[in-house]
Amino acid sequence: MPGKVKRETGNALLEVKGLRVAVAGNEILKGVDLAIRAGEVHAIMGPNGSGKSTLAQVLAGHPAYTVVAGSATYDGKDLLALKPEERARAGVFLAFQYPVEIRGITNSYFLRSALNALRKERGEPELDPIDFLQVLEERVKAIGSDDAMMNRPVNEGFSGGEKKRNEILQLAVLEPRMAILDETDSGLDIDALKTVAHAVNQLRSPDRAFLIVTHYQRLLNYIKPDVVHVLADGRIVKTGGPELALELEAKGYDWLRDGVMVS
Amino acid sequence: MIQLGKNTRSTIVSKGLSAGRGQNTYRGLVKLMKGAEGARNYSQCDSMLIGDKCGAHTFPYIDVRNSTAIMEHEASTSKIGEDQIFYLRQRGLSSEDAVSMIVNGFCKEVFKELPMEFAVEATRLLGISLEGSVG
Repeated sequence: MPGKVKRETGNALLEVKGLRVAVAGNEILKGVDLAIRAGEVHAIMGPNGSGKSTLAQVLAGHPAYTVVAGSATYDGKDLLALKPEERARAGVFLAFQYPVEIRGITNSYFLRSALNALRKERGEPELDPIDFLQVLEERVKAIGSDDAMMNRPVNEGFSGGEKKRNEILQLAVLEPRMAILDETDSGLDIDALKTVAHAVNQLRSPDRAFLIVTHYQRLLNYIKPDVVHVLADGRIVKTGGPELALELEAKGYDWLRDGVMVS
Repeated sequence: MIQLGKNTRSTIVSKGLSAGRGQNTYRGLVKLMKGAEGARNYSQCDSMLIGDKCGAHTFPYIDVRNSTAIMEHEASTSKIGEDQIFYLRQRGLSSEDAVSMIVNGFCKEVFKELPMEFAVEATRLLGISLEGSVG
């Protein structure tokens, strides 16, 4: 196919085909195709209400969304047939746009329970609090963060930036193969953004794929994606390299949306 | 709670859980008598609802007979939300474990005051009585 970039999609870790999703009777995603291989970082950009967060939530299995048609295959398994916790244990991680607060439960207890659920699935022994502390320290150091948040209740009283950093810390400890970041950059000041981006860059590895949902090109200055997709009106209307993000920043989304209207 | 003496202090913390079609009621009298100069009481009633067919009710009875005494009452009701459970499941916990973690966190304030053996027992009991209550 001359003049057209055809990406190799063989051996995709996550492959989404013709995914249509509705919430409360409204169709939000109207046929999304996506293939992500291990080691790749994909960014999904798009205007408000284009379905970016819906895609992230649906891949993680949020019960409020109904899959109308299409498929999602993860590591050879039918992702959509799995319960949310089964997806998590298989290595799918969602960094939430709005992390939830859990009163009375410390971050470290929560995270140890989560890690042990994953370890149990892999047939590894569960970690006691002392062993966990070692793992935690090592992971915290790896992403250049600190563990000051660990003895506070999960997200309770956290600032917006702390909540997002906490999500990335969980990502670092749980070491998923498929990490989905849902607007992790929203509400972050520039320093917090750099911290988060640095952590994500440290976590990039040949076995791990990232799907980064974002509004702005800003985050992609610090996390260089391999592929950029533009989602508009429930469909991926354009796919390109990192330069596409810059083009969007300069031109906005309207030129693409017009293209959708015509076609 | 009846307070007679000067500068006496008391605290009431009540945690109520309702699941299924359960109704939970807090009814408590706090009486600060005439001689209870400068006495204080703080009452806190937190209710948690699991499901949408249950209810929580709070009836604080307050009888203060000394104008220098201070009595405070606070009440809250929260519901275990789908988003809270989903968050925990997304991290690999089963929905039963998710509910039990949220409920234990809710009761923590009371449990942490109990001797170790009771706290362990109470946590276990909660686990048993909540089995299958998540629809």
